[in-house]
Order: sequence, then structure tokens, then C-alpha cells
Amino acid sequence: MSRIWALACLAWIEMARRKDIYVLFLLVAALLAGIVSFDVFGLGGMSGYVKDSGLLAAWILGWILAVGTAVRQLTQEELRGTVFVLLSKPVSRLEVVLGKWLGSWLMVAAAVGCFYLVVSLAVVLKGGQLDWVCLAQAYFLHTLAMGLVVAIGIAFSTRLGGDAAATLTYAVTGAAFLILPRVPALLVEQQGVSGVVLQVLYYFLPHFELFDLRLRLIHGWGAAPWGVCGGVALYGAIWILVVLCLAWAGYRHRRFSRGNLL
Amino acid sequence: MSAALEIDGLTVSFPSGKGIVQAVRSLNLTVAAGSVFGFLGPNGAGKTTTIHVLLGFQSPTSGSARVFGRTVSDTMARDRIGFLAENPDTYGFLTGRELLGFTGRLFRMEKGLISRRAGELFASLGLSSAADRRIASYSRGMKQRLCMAQSLINDPDLLILDEPTGGLDPIGRREVRRIITERRSAGKTVFFSSHELSEVELVSDRIGVLVAGRLVAEGTVDEVVGPAGNLERRFVQLVEEESGKGGAA
Repeated sequence: MSRIWALACLAWIEMARRKDIYVLFLLVAALLAGIVSFDVFGLGGMSGYVKDSGLLAAWILGWILAVGTAVRQLTQEELRGTVFVLLSKPVSRLEVVLGKWLGSWLMVAAAVGCFYLVVSLAVVLKGGQLDWVCLAQAYFLHTLAMGLVVAIGIAFSTRLGGDAAATLTYAVTGAAFLILPRVPALLVEQQGVSGVVLQVLYYFLPHFELFDLRLRLIHGWGAAPWGVCGGVALYGAIWILVVLCLAWAGYRHRRFSRGNLL
Repeated sequence: MSAALEIDGLTVSFPSGKGIVQAVRSLNLTVAAGSVFGFLGPNGAGKTTTIHVLLGFQSPTSGSARVFGRTVSDTMARDRIGFLAENPDTYGFLTGRELLGFTGRLFRMEKGLISRRAGELFASLGLSSAADRRIASYSRGMKQRLCMAQSLINDPDLLILDEPTGGLDPIGRREVRRIITERRSAGKTVFFSSHELSEVELVSDRIGVLVAGRLVAEGTVDEVVGPAGNLERRFVQLVEEESGKGGAA
């Protein structure tokens, strides 16, 4: 565990010392400052509008950060040639995968936490109210979803270059988030092969919409039942575990190019 | 004397654009603990591939390799190894001290021990004043010394160096020689690959010459040189002989 933690800290330090994460924070802050300051069509007076825009921004920016962070972890090690030094230590490839995932996930979770803090502050400044228990649930499930996105990014990057892994991760997670909730409605119209394809996608891709409690927060529906929350958390944990196992399977026999070393 | 390194019938082949490349062919080698072994060979002879197998980066096609009795596929075999890669690069976003701290943690060393050992290595390698600077600001020579410090943080029983003097100035080369001889004096084993014959001659107890993946000579420098008179002449002779065989085949 100490080696996994050391690798996680390394990933954390790298991200903290890069500048792009601060650009995302500035973007969220600027976006919310704009929302709070302007009163377009009288919408600025509605705190629900602030919640809606702020939480959507937190999801989109969290997603971008998760993919960007995940796919560079293993690929950068190889590009720099540091993978040879790293693997010459008593570290198993499973520990490398887990450490990289943990570091990236914690980083993204912290960033998403900051986004939520900024959104909450903006809502309070607008005189709106937040259900704090629901907010905590939304944050918790959001970070779990990001953990899954990070795991998918790392899994793709065990066999693909950084750009290809990022594109594929965006495509798979984006499709899962946007298309899967609409599949039952689409199935009514789709017959034959396309219907089968949609069903396969529906059952074999993770359902990110389950982790999204934005509507509860925006419309003030209150906290989700704890049983449901726990069930979704378990679903997320199982998916993360499965994807990390696939990542390890992809990485354990990976041959590295000597070109990066020489 | 016990063996630090035992390689039995090691063969490594991998697919390339032109078919299957046999990088190492039936290599048998034993390196005694506490000795310095120079692994010689021209470019592309299979030296780095052999080192990659010893470190578990690459699986052998056939044969086996053991480090202090442990098979190289066992992660814990690397607990007693220090490794310096050729043209090493490292995490530029860390400071030198953080890098050694990180490496020490991978070896599960105590915090106090890491700190003490890092201090000794920084002093020994002339990096004390740069220890808290980001590595990205280090010169190439400083990075090389830092990577050497990283490979020594666990006080390894076996130090593996891949072309350690490549691209170094004479002072850097002397520094590497000093470290190798210090390790031997401390009873540690050093296995290093090189095609710098004079360096190998100066520090090695035994040498092996690898040509086209085949070990064509092994012994003390005097044994390998034999009637040829000097190592360079003998080395060229061995390479030409082996190339002739390859051509005939």
C-alpha cells in the first residue's frame, strides 16, 4: 500500500505543479462571477440558474480534467523514459496502475470539490438555498463517476498513445453519459441490428447518469435515499474495479519501446 | 563466493518489421557477488535487452535469470538492485530531495533513513546545494549524478549500469569509476554494460563480450585479451569473427 500511496503522491504533485488545473479553476470562477454579476432576462435573480450552470460546468470541467489527467499518467512515464527507472524498483505493474489511478482520482476529486465550493458560494451569494446533505451526496457520487472516467482513461492508455487514449475515453464516456439514458426510448423505434447494438451498449457501458444528482439539487427535491446512494456507490466501485483489472491485464505484459530509453 | 546474478540459456526474440529478431541467444553467465562485471559489446549486441530481462521489463523467450537466487519475474528480486539507465531522464517537476524521497518510499525505507541516505548521496555527488531545486533546472551532468544517487538510495547489493559513461565528460567518467570502485570496496556487485573499452578495462574484475546476442568471450581482462595484446584489438577481432560467422550462415 505504501508504494501505491507513493505513486499516488507523485501523480498528485505532478498535477499540482502543472498550470492547466489552475486555468480550469479560473474558468469556473470567471463563469460563476459572470452568472452572479449579470442579470440576463431577469434570470440572474434565480439561484436555480446559478446551480444549474455551475454544476453543469463542474461536470464538464471535471470530466475534461479526469480524462486529461488519466491518459497522461502512463504515457508520460513512457515518453520520458522514466518507466524503466520506475519498474526497476520493487514495484509491480498492478501497483503502478493502482497508484496512478489513485493519484489522478484524488486530484480530480479535490478539483471537483473546489468547483462545488465555488458553486455553493455563488448560490449563497445569490440568496439561494442548498440542501447540504444532497450536496454532499452529489459530490460523493460525482467523484465516484470521475474515478470511473479516470480508470477508463488509464485502461486505454495502457495500450494506446496519449492522444488516442484521450479521444477514445472522451468518446466512450461521452456516449455513455449522453446516449445511454435515451436508449430505452430509442429502442421503441429501432428494430433489428441497430436495436441489438443499442441493447448491447445499454448493458455493457457504465451508466453515468446514475451518479448525477444535479436535478435534485437544482429543484430542491432533497437528499436521495441512502440505500439508493449506497447502491449506486457499489455499482460505481464494481465498475472501477473491473476497469482497473482490465487496465492491469493490458499493462502487465506491455513491452516498452527502447527508443525512449536510448 | 555466491552468485549475484545467474543467467541460464537466456534467449530473447521479438517480432520486428523484418521478421523475428533474436536479440539474445542462449546466454549463460554467472556474476559473483562482490565483483565488478563489465558487459561489452558493439551497438545492438543485446546488452540493453539482457539488462531489461534482468530488471523484469521483458520476459525471456526461453531460459531463465536469477538475482541473488530470486527469479527476475519476482518483483522482490528488485529490492536489492539499483539501476541507472542510459541517458537517464527523470521527473523534472520534483526537486532532487523529493525524487530520492519518492524512490526510498518505493523501497519501503524509513523516513529517517531516506533523509540520512539522501544527505550522504547529495554530499558525495556534489549536489547538496541543488537538492531543493526543481530537477527541470538541473544541467545534464547534474541530472546524471542525481539519477546515480537515485540508483544508490537503497544501498543496493547489485548495481546495474547501462552505458553509465555515455555522453559524460572526463570528470563525469572519473566520478562513475569512483562510484564503481567504492561499491566493490563495500562488497557490493556492479554489472555494467559499455562499449567504452578503456573504462571497462580500468574497473572490471571480469568482462563478457556479447556480439549479435551471443556471448563470445568471458573471463578476466587478461584472459579475454590473450595473445591479442590489448582489449581493443581483441574486441574488434571477436566482433569480426562473429560477423563472419553470421555472414557465412
